[in-house]
Amino acid sequence: MSSTLTLPHVPVEQFTLVNGLRVVFSEDHSVPVVSVAVFYDVGSRNEREGRTGFAHLFEHMMFQGSENVPKAGHFQYIFNNGGTMNGTTSSERTNYFETLPASQLPLALWLESDRMRSLKVTQENLDNQRDAVKEEKRLNYDNRPYSNAFLRLNELVYRNPANAHSTIGSMEDLDDATIEDVREFFRVYYAPNNAVLTVVGDFDPAEARALVERYFASIPAQPRPAPPDVSEPPEVAARYELYRDPFAQLPALMLGWKVPPRRTPDFYALSSASDLLLDGDSSRLYQRLVKGEESVVAIQGGLGERRGPSTLYVFAIPKPGHTTEEIRATIREEVERLAAEGPTAGETEKLRNTLLNDAVRGRQSTLYRAQRLAEFTLYDGDPHLLNTELERYLAVTPEAIKAAVGRYLLTDNHSLMEVAPAHAAESAEEEPAPAAAEPAGEPDQPGSPPPQIPPKPPAEPPPATQTETVTESSRQ
Amino acid sequence: MMSEQLTEDFRREPPTPLAPRPLNLPAAREATLSNGLGVVVVEQERLPLVSFRLAFRSGDSSDPRELPGLTDILTSMLVEGTETRNSRQIAEETARYGATLNAGASSDQTTVAASTLSAYTDEVFELLADATLRPTFPEDELALAKDNAQQNLIAQRAQPSFLASEALARVLFGEHPYAVVSPTPESIDAMARDRLLEFHRAKFSPSNAVLFVVGDVRRDAVLARAEQLFGAWTAPAVEEPHFPAPPARGERVAYLVNRPGSAQSNIIVANLAIRRTHPDYFPFLVMHTILGANASARLFMNLREEKGYTYGAYTQLDARRHAGSFRATAEVRTAVTGASLKEMFYEYERIRAEDVSEKELTDAKAYLTGVFPIRLETQEGLVDQLVQQRMHGLPDDYLETYRDNVQRVTREEVRRVANLYVTPERAAIVVVGDAAEVREQIAPYAARVEDFDAGKK
Repeated sequence: MSSTLTLPHVPVEQFTLVNGLRVVFSEDHSVPVVSVAVFYDVGSRNEREGRTGFAHLFEHMMFQGSENVPKAGHFQYIFNNGGTMNGTTSSERTNYFETLPASQLPLALWLESDRMRSLKVTQENLDNQRDAVKEEKRLNYDNRPYSNAFLRLNELVYRNPANAHSTIGSMEDLDDATIEDVREFFRVYYAPNNAVLTVVGDFDPAEARALVERYFASIPAQPRPAPPDVSEPPEVAARYELYRDPFAQLPALMLGWKVPPRRTPDFYALSSASDLLLDGDSSRLYQRLVKGEESVVAIQGGLGERRGPSTLYVFAIPKPGHTTEEIRATIREEVERLAAEGPTAGETEKLRNTLLNDAVRGRQSTLYRAQRLAEFTLYDGDPHLLNTELERYLAVTPEAIKAAVGRYLLTDNHSLMEVAPAHAAESAEEEPAPAAAEPAGEPDQPGSPPPQIPPKPPAEPPPATQTETVTESSRQ
Repeated sequence: MMSEQLTEDFRREPPTPLAPRPLNLPAAREATLSNGLGVVVVEQERLPLVSFRLAFRSGDSSDPRELPGLTDILTSMLVEGTETRNSRQIAEETARYGATLNAGASSDQTTVAASTLSAYTDEVFELLADATLRPTFPEDELALAKDNAQQNLIAQRAQPSFLASEALARVLFGEHPYAVVSPTPESIDAMARDRLLEFHRAKFSPSNAVLFVVGDVRRDAVLARAEQLFGAWTAPAVEEPHFPAPPARGERVAYLVNRPGSAQSNIIVANLAIRRTHPDYFPFLVMHTILGANASARLFMNLREEKGYTYGAYTQLDARRHAGSFRATAEVRTAVTGASLKEMFYEYERIRAEDVSEKELTDAKAYLTGVFPIRLETQEGLVDQLVQQRMHGLPDDYLETYRDNVQRVTREEVRRVANLYVTPERAAIVVVGDAAEVREQIAPYAARVEDFDAGKK
């Protein structure tokens, strides 16, 4: 019956300003709110050596005032006019967004345009936000179990530093960031022709278009920055590392595979494979490990989607008496079985209906649509993908899943991280034997914080691969 | 900084808003089934989706004293086996519809929730009813749940936020059941199938519940189907529990939870406050908005934007069914633990001693009334509001009058509730951090510093 379901069409109107700013509108008059998103084509993948964490630190600076908006004025204007807002940074991009009562669309455009054209930076504000970002790093990584181990896993998966380093960066690099870095980064990356603006919700398109022209058209374009090199060397080596976690109470196991970029045929197939293996209580690994063998307390994982080589990762917490080796062997068996047999008919139906349900449910929110439209426009030049991309996922065949699993998940191109609670490891005589994988070729980096993933164990999903300006406060 | 271009005058001031657009609140209509179960239906055809929630007016606080965690484990096991489906069948059937089905409990509520494409409304409705009414709590599934719960008890102690909430609940609520935030190894051991079955019969009563259905449905069809699925369900009425009052606090005491090697201190400053139905709720809400609800409020501006002590500093108004608390929280680097307490208490004293400005009052009201419709964009958000209203017995026109109630609050009321409930001289301070580094920093801000040991009752 799901085959008769037609996905509600999201209207898309797109145009480009003379300065190269790409703009997408989508009207929806259900609720009197409007969401505005601005995505800049810069993320941690653009950071140079010695400046890890800079794209995210810069994101914080975008809230520190511009020619006509005082420091922290952005927070004040949005909240004090009944809106919500944030900014986030990932490997791929930096985004800024707000949802407001529909009547406040001009305010959002005024604020976003003012910082795009005339960001103000002072040493005092840079020092202040550097401090805030360091506390963000301590809160979300350094003071938590598993988070830094997850970041470390990423450094094992990727060989290219542009992909391998974290968005939050290192304390040392944050310390080294200068005012000149901020000015240069703004000039190079925060130009209208390196950005996308989307507006979704209850507005009049003619009125909105006039406002967008008024606020954004006079911002000068800049030479387009060269895209970063995110290519990865071909390799077959399996990697292994033991991570002693100062806060973990239970050991953990993390696996990462390097997989093809988003929007490639194999990526769609691996997305389905990842769902079959890891998505929810009906998934194969949950049913096998949590239920059948009762060897792990929890298991989670999924795809980290990128424009370049992406990642599929698994995070599991073994139970006492069960070894990493044993759990890894079971995971391997399940992967082999999927490669050999493909999904069952019931699983195919599940994949289809889950894709449909998730697609429709996500669209309830104007902010979700604004972000997805911006992403497709920025990465692919085509906002209509919000309407059509689902077809690509639905078109994945059982044969394609088998082939992709065989090609990418049954090779040595993976990394294994064992996390040992530091307090327990100290008393143990030896490190756990490396499982079948070879020791990592990666040199230890004493003094620098190891890598991270962020789950709050058992019941919580792994970590965000992005950082944001503020945490959403409690609502009443 | 890059402003070689001339500044255009229209950019100098924030723009005037466009004409306001009306919010049409969805019509929520309640009916009662033959067995007394209330059913609230909102027809919303915008998208081919349906959301269900069956909410009970009792939660973890109803756990027997000797069995903390019973409601939690019982609730999590609703989807682990019924008279006609085993755990795996429930998971697979739900997934095959692309749907979700889950159950959970908070201190005063237990909910069973489902969401689906509207094409599978009937099927998912039936799954929800089956899990709610006919769970069997199979022995093997219970053994597994208990085993995993023991591991989770260990794992959660790695999180400073858990350690902080555990200590705070204990010192603030004393003998009141809100003091308990997690089971114990002994209580998990003692969970037995008979107890679960008995507790399920006692607490899962139609008189204690309301069913919410929102989305692409016809009201008549929902009520007819609900009568089929739930009409024969009977159980004795559940009595409103009576709990010991939380202890009165006479002085400001700090409770230190030692977590050696911590990269930060997690700070909570807390007082007992109001129940959700208290008449001071709206003035309190406005005061909280000004003091610390978001990133434009006083605490955030001070501790983060001015001082750079923290990634975020906020207040929380936690007004529950039987009691409530008001808290200020921040996670700060160890060296500024004392300095952060100083600023938190400075802001506490200031909002008590001085009227908030007219602008702050207007801004807070604009925030609260403006974000209200944003929450109604999704079915889940709308159901949250309806559940809150029905579970707390708030007036029928609660959603319609919410924004007016916010607008009515005056500066005098804000000052009055600040003086009543923001009481630094009786506050409990909880700090989770490296005790050797922070003890001396905290000492000046409390009558005494006690070491908190979770193992000690």
